[in-house]
Amino acid sequence: MTAFSAPSRPTFTHRLWTDAPAFTGLALLILLAMAPLLLAMLLDPRLSGAEDIWLKPLKFHIALAIYLVTLAAFARWLPEGMRASRRWRGFVALVCLCVIAELLWIGGAAAMGTTSHFNLSSPPWQVLYSLMGLAAATLTSASLVMGLAIHRNPATGLHPAIKRALVHGLILTFLLTLLTAGYMSSTPGHHVGTPVTGATLPLFGWSREVGDLRVAHFLATHALHALPLWGLAAARLADGPRSLALVGAGSLAFTLLVLATFAQAIAGQPLL
Amino acid sequence: MTPDSLFQIANPLAMAGWLALALSPLAPRPALLLAGVVVPLLLSLAYAGLILAFWSGAEGGFATLAQVQLLFTDPHVALAGWLHYLAFDLLIGAWATRTARDEGIPHLFLLPCLALTFLFGPAGFLAFSALRFTLSRLKG
Repeated sequence: MTAFSAPSRPTFTHRLWTDAPAFTGLALLILLAMAPLLLAMLLDPRLSGAEDIWLKPLKFHIALAIYLVTLAAFARWLPEGMRASRRWRGFVALVCLCVIAELLWIGGAAAMGTTSHFNLSSPPWQVLYSLMGLAAATLTSASLVMGLAIHRNPATGLHPAIKRALVHGLILTFLLTLLTAGYMSSTPGHHVGTPVTGATLPLFGWSREVGDLRVAHFLATHALHALPLWGLAAARLADGPRSLALVGAGSLAFTLLVLATFAQAIAGQPLL
Repeated sequence: MTPDSLFQIANPLAMAGWLALALSPLAPRPALLLAGVVVPLLLSLAYAGLILAFWSGAEGGFATLAQVQLLFTDPHVALAGWLHYLAFDLLIGAWATRTARDEGIPHLFLLPCLALTFLFGPAGFLAFSALRFTLSRLKG
């Protein structure tokens, strides 16, 4: 910043582009790719189960764009110099490739009128399903890597409670997603129990009749949103060690909530 | 939406682009924006949606002429193929219009090339290329 230019505060979107250009750019591309998907949904009469066949690709586009933008927003608190390092950039490239592979697999399966997850109908689909499980774990590991790196950064400039909540949220996103989604991938499908006649919660599509493993996966994967928000509240509600204790309690409670919904689904019970 | 109704929307859309190119000396920038960007993008979007939705269910393929003919017996795929023509012919028309402006080729010379591109895509491209070559010899 020179003396001649007025000091300006970088905007939120500007920081996304400078701190995590690959994550931000990929998020934008993923959102733009929704245009032809939406058109396909408008034109295509095919269903997958009881749902429009294009609903799932669209959901994954939205979810992964939100994930990438979240990581891009948190990237500003990575340690000095890390974002420019070769190792970080290589890892980011790997994560981006995994995101692209997931979306091509899910969108491609919809285009071909078949399913992506749980598709063991033929050897190629079996191999793809295994590979995509690996890709999903890899892209989720970005939250673990960032959580640990932000934890090690002594100079985030964040309130200690907010920093801790951020770290907890990122690390728990990885651990709880690995547990819930990993378990789900070892089962034949996301529903536990019968009969499935099609009663679902609006918007989310979770079953209201049988256990639905996607509930715990959803919550687990949103730990990186829920816990930092709770950290913001904790920093206002109390100071010093007490705010940190509030954050710890929040992380524990959230973990229990994920585990409870997980156990509920395994027991074949719907969320509501 | 049926293939027929999409066809009925796509044709006037492309026509608007061609009209803009024909009248482009009046307002070159908006004309090129419409014919070179907006209309081709809309047609491409419809094309991509059709391919995502109907490609895998269609019979035929690219390997033999008979397979290509079989492919176009599917109305959705035939519509996609038609949108492909509309979008890319118009893009070539817009490119030719921009090139003609850049190189000082009179609009009156461009117009027959645009008409030919509109009706028979590659033939128009051929004509415009021949025109450019000839004019460059005249100047040289």
